[in-house]
Amino acid sequence: MSTTDHVVEAAPADPDAGATDAGTDAESTAPRRRSAPSLRWLVRPVATAVGNMLAFVVISFLLVQLIPGDPVVTATGGRLQGDALEAARASYGLDGSVWDQFLTYLGQLAHLDLGESIASGRPVIEDFATRIPATLELITTGLFFACIVTVLLSHFVVTHPSNPVSRVLSAYARSAGALPEYVLGIAFLFVFYAVLGWAPAPSGRLDPLLIAPDDVTGFPVLDALIAGDTAAASSYVSHLVLPVIVMVVAHTPILMKSLVLGLQGAIDDPSTRFRIAAGAPRRVVLLSIYRRALPQAVAMLGMMFGLFLGGAVVLEALFGLGGLGQYAVDAVNNSDIFALRSFLLVAAALCLAIYLVVEIVIALLDPRRRTGKAA
Amino acid sequence: MTATAPTPDSATAPEAALGTGSPAGARKAPRTSATKPRHRRVGFWLRLLPFAILVVLAVLGPWLAPMDPERVVGPSSSAPDGEFWFGTDANGMDVLSRVLAAFRLDVTIAIAVTALTTVLAIVIGLVAGMYDSHRGPLGWAARLLGRLIDLVQAIPVMIAGLVVVSFFGRNSLVISLALAVVLVPFSARLMRTEVGVVKHAGYLDAGRLSGESELRILVRRVLPNSLLPVIENTSAIFGMAIIFCAALGFLGVGVPVPTAEWGSMLATGAPDAAVGRWWGVLFPSLALGYAVWSASTLISAFDRDKG
Repeated sequence: MSTTDHVVEAAPADPDAGATDAGTDAESTAPRRRSAPSLRWLVRPVATAVGNMLAFVVISFLLVQLIPGDPVVTATGGRLQGDALEAARASYGLDGSVWDQFLTYLGQLAHLDLGESIASGRPVIEDFATRIPATLELITTGLFFACIVTVLLSHFVVTHPSNPVSRVLSAYARSAGALPEYVLGIAFLFVFYAVLGWAPAPSGRLDPLLIAPDDVTGFPVLDALIAGDTAAASSYVSHLVLPVIVMVVAHTPILMKSLVLGLQGAIDDPSTRFRIAAGAPRRVVLLSIYRRALPQAVAMLGMMFGLFLGGAVVLEALFGLGGLGQYAVDAVNNSDIFALRSFLLVAAALCLAIYLVVEIVIALLDPRRRTGKAA
Repeated sequence: MTATAPTPDSATAPEAALGTGSPAGARKAPRTSATKPRHRRVGFWLRLLPFAILVVLAVLGPWLAPMDPERVVGPSSSAPDGEFWFGTDANGMDVLSRVLAAFRLDVTIAIAVTALTTVLAIVIGLVAGMYDSHRGPLGWAARLLGRLIDLVQAIPVMIAGLVVVSFFGRNSLVISLALAVVLVPFSARLMRTEVGVVKHAGYLDAGRLSGESELRILVRRVLPNSLLPVIENTSAIFGMAIIFCAALGFLGVGVPVPTAEWGSMLATGAPDAAVGRWWGVLFPSLALGYAVWSASTLISAFDRDKG
């Protein structure tokens, strides 16, 4: 029991009483008023997400301030001297007091200006615009298949608890997180590329002989389909297969562990016993079990997105997929501090956006959680 | 909010799901079921063995290495044979020597990270859990700490680690500190949840009424009663420390080559593995897996007593 729960219990039941109290009275108003006021529970999660994003802006600024030595000198390898150095510092917003620098930084961010890469001189935002979709494609595909596999396997484990196969699957679920992506990735690369020759070479998304289709959405497979270029599309897909399989194998145990736990909890719930006792058909009972376990599973998905994003960094480096993660690794090798700072911000923004969506979905699924704690 | 529900709010975050992660409810059972004291049972000692071997390897590893792990000693990428038992990597360094030498670095970092994370998590969890509904500066500090660990956890460990280590230097001290900071939320949230339960217990009021100071209550009453989940989580933290330390090495942000480290060995071995030379990656992966497994076995040895 956290304190917010107490507040909820103490909140007035009168729907009109707490107009200023956005979060706490939503529970009592929601069932009665389906119209506009029932959306007030949204205010708190959105405000939290915005607040967290601002905190990340400050943190990312301070992190760069805390770096020992002069970042411009480090990045340029000490080649710049005197006036040239001062000019370079000014162009990265590193002149003036800390407070001035912070205001400059905020001003840049307000214009969606993420600065220029020290290494390439190109605006960071342009690089991100092409790389974020590629990474999102990898993550969402991975997440999608991980969910399907998780639901199928968990369903089997829960409905056939004494089957030897489900014992093996449970043991697999217990191994959650013990196999890092890079070990699995290398193992799969060895088996499916080096030995069996099924997978394409781990370099880039497109076969070198093919020409990339026009950039419309930024999502490679989608763009190729829009251009009607099936050869490019299938090349894109075939380069994605192995990384996605690695993601699914690496992360399914964690999802499975939590879904099985949630399903078992839902099976033990008195309402399930009531349905069985009342003679409801098996399908109805199963549906209600899933309905009950759903909010927890969705909450897990939000956390998984972060994990997949971190995993994408590793997998992109290993398979040469050229997404956001590989950009970050390149930036590390070039000591490109400003690109990295923007990478941190973008990663945080992506995660916070997903957490917000997840929180809203959970609240829609389970009204009891609407007043809930901020993620 | 139950302590066992795997919502992001309770501490069963995905990366924390790595270890034994037994439900908090189990520990409420009285410790009666053990028929013999734990140190008399063979199973207990057997479970300590893998971690003991790990520590021994960490101490002796660099001395057991048959060749210089940081020197080119043979032809590049030669298969395991009588001279090079585990083969050589793409640079012509002896894989066996490097795997053995890396035990000290990786295990030391992991132990340091685990210790630091656990201590920090206990302190943060105590303060954030006990005083988050207080008024005044203490309440402010508690809520700020709570916010901070939520913030740190909002960003993937891999990404935060990558950025921080690349900012502040690729050495084992920075890696340990960065990983500790990034992993603190996993344990601190567990601690906060536990303290949140314990703080309503009657024996705290009894202690206060009998005139015990707040600090004494915190250390003598709250701490022992909320410590166990964090201690159980150390195996998960240790595992994550090993895995993320190697991941940083794999991405080229770890301790620089030629120092032997499993992650950077994997990075060197990956292109070799893609052309069918498996020995450069298999052995560091096995060492990595062994380290993670031994820690979870160690914790499960103590876990058994709960009946």
